[in-house]
Amino acid sequence: MKVALLELRRRPWRFAPAVIALVLLTVLLLVLGGLLDGLYNGFTGALRAQPGQLLTYAADAKLSVVRSRIDAATTAEVKRVPGVEQVGGLGVALVGAKVPGQATEASVALFGYERAPHGVPAPPRQTGQVYADTSLKAYGVRAGQTLLLGPTQYTVEVVGWVSDTNFLIQGGLWGNVETWQAALASARPDQVLAPGTYQVLTVSTAAGADPTRVAAAIDVATGGTTHTVTRSFAVDSLPGIKQQRSTFNAIIYTTFFVAALVVALFFALLTLERIGMYAVFKAMGASSGQVFGQVVVQAIVIAALSFVLGAMLALAARGVIPAQVPLQLTGGRAIEVAVGLIVMSTLGSALSLRRVVGIDPATAIG
Amino acid sequence: MLLASREIRRAPVRFGLLAGAIGLLIFLVFFQQTLLSALLNSFTGALQNQSGTVLVFSSEARENVEASVLSPDIVAKVAAVPGVGQAGPLGVATLTFLARGQQVDLAVIGAEPGKPGQPTKLISGRPATAAGEGVASAEAQGLAIGDTVTTAAGRSPVTIVGLTEQSQLSVLPTLFVAYATYMTLRKAANPDATAVLASAVAVIPSSGVSQQAVAASINATVPGVAALTRSDAVANAPGVSSTKGSIAIVLALAVVVVALVTGFFFLILTVQKTASLTLLRAVGVPASYLVRGLFHQVTLVLGVALLIAVGLLLAATATANAGLPLTIEPRALLTSTVVIVGLSLLGVAFSVWRVLRIEPVQAVSRPGLGGIE
Repeated sequence: MKVALLELRRRPWRFAPAVIALVLLTVLLLVLGGLLDGLYNGFTGALRAQPGQLLTYAADAKLSVVRSRIDAATTAEVKRVPGVEQVGGLGVALVGAKVPGQATEASVALFGYERAPHGVPAPPRQTGQVYADTSLKAYGVRAGQTLLLGPTQYTVEVVGWVSDTNFLIQGGLWGNVETWQAALASARPDQVLAPGTYQVLTVSTAAGADPTRVAAAIDVATGGTTHTVTRSFAVDSLPGIKQQRSTFNAIIYTTFFVAALVVALFFALLTLERIGMYAVFKAMGASSGQVFGQVVVQAIVIAALSFVLGAMLALAARGVIPAQVPLQLTGGRAIEVAVGLIVMSTLGSALSLRRVVGIDPATAIG
Repeated sequence: MLLASREIRRAPVRFGLLAGAIGLLIFLVFFQQTLLSALLNSFTGALQNQSGTVLVFSSEARENVEASVLSPDIVAKVAAVPGVGQAGPLGVATLTFLARGQQVDLAVIGAEPGKPGQPTKLISGRPATAAGEGVASAEAQGLAIGDTVTTAAGRSPVTIVGLTEQSQLSVLPTLFVAYATYMTLRKAANPDATAVLASAVAVIPSSGVSQQAVAASINATVPGVAALTRSDAVANAPGVSSTKGSIAIVLALAVVVVALVTGFFFLILTVQKTASLTLLRAVGVPASYLVRGLFHQVTLVLGVALLIAVGLLLAATATANAGLPLTIEPRALLTSTVVIVGLSLLGVAFSVWRVLRIEPVQAVSRPGLGGIE
């Protein structure tokens, strides 16, 4: 153990190629993971924040918020279902927003809501007032500003901030139902809904009620015109979410595999070059396990050091990447990368085990 | 050279395994490239394969056709811009239909008959010219000429009169209809809608006027719009750049792995053979001969690996059911091959350096070769 650490201290440049490769892979893993987290949160924030365990869509909308329409009569039927405690209407208008003094327009998702989502205050009383997601600050949005929405430039005033409420990577704006309806009428007349009609209903179940049974009961009560799902199911059903996650995870796992490969090939070469030295160790009484332990210790130290350097580089990169890019570097993701890197490096170094075990102590004397 | 070939013949398993492993990795690169082009085609095929060579969106839609809305007066203003030969409104929306008793999502594209926006990849039947007629993309599985689809509520029937290929939009099969039919379908989907506006204007420039010139002219003349050439509209469509970026990372990783594996394999081989190579140098074999032998082996291994990769790719594209029409693009594969071979040769540079560093005098100072240290 001591010899392994001493070698690392005395001949650090020998390990430079592996460290450089692993540092770059760490940066790649952290940035990819950060992008995945940022994209996921940016896509799903508004739905994850909704109150209640269930969301009710029109059956023919195939879980698309924008294409769903639930009229007042259906809402009344949902409210009467046993096990349903609270029901609230929700609607969204996806539009572009002109920010005063900014050349780049922001894509926003203007929500009209009856029941306040988690972290969002009760709906503003005044029509035309909205709470803005903090992510819109990257587009130059400031409190008290008036934003111009859509081609006909419907105006809304930002009266406060909320966080993690974006939808489909569009900045969340939260106003009362009248604000949403007015914005739709102005910017998207093809999506206007009759008074009392919402796109989605948020449903809270009574204490002790089984949400999945209540969901089924709602769809039966509405004669199959609705499709009620749990909030987590609705989040996972957003377009592209599953594909996005699987694509990024495939890249991340491939990168971990590459890290293991780098360590394996590096230590295979190193072991080959040090066969004579290991033979001397064995001739002096060291076991194969002790010799192999040195290889593993060096692999772990290299992985840990590379992670620290890579994390510092990733943090520096975060400062350079434009704020509009949905990159979120979190502690949880960093721990995952650190553990993954160390495990894969240990596994990679294990490739040298066969060669270490095969070393004949007698070769130490010629 | 003879020595290098002999070594491969004497150790066919070792070199065969390496060629197989690299062949699999190159196949991974080739297959991902083929998938990427199929995926991009399914994102934007309908925009690429419609007759309008310039597309005009509302500027706040940020080049997303489904987020764009243009009022009739804007459509008229675009049509009046000098250099515009033909122009017509284009409606684009995703709607749920009933087809053979099943609910299916289709991207509906409405264009006025005879005006820009018509599908250009018709493989059977005829274009939709009358109300209630439609041309479905061949990817709309189960739809055939003569079939009828309706809105989810069973209203506004559309009869399929033609089939088109490579015309998906946002990975959905498409239904090309006359603009009037598009309006009817949108109203049927949302009876509360106060108006159905065009999503874009499809433009064909006058003869002798370039697409770029017309796009620039429209942008300069009509406020609140973003005119793009068809190829720019396709390149900037939502999802295209992020998909390209994600797959490019995987491709780059795979190429680096190929170079790493090749480089490390030959480095390990060189280190293992150092004693023999030293002896060869000591008996007068020039270093350049040994280096040429090394490159000879690398070239042979990569050649066999490429053959394996191409064979696997042909088999995969013929049999894989990826839900997308897979077509091999030789130019992209050639580019990848050049990059892979170049990087792999770069990867063996360290081995070359090790060979060149060998001192013939070490042959007489190695106990293993009978020398005295």
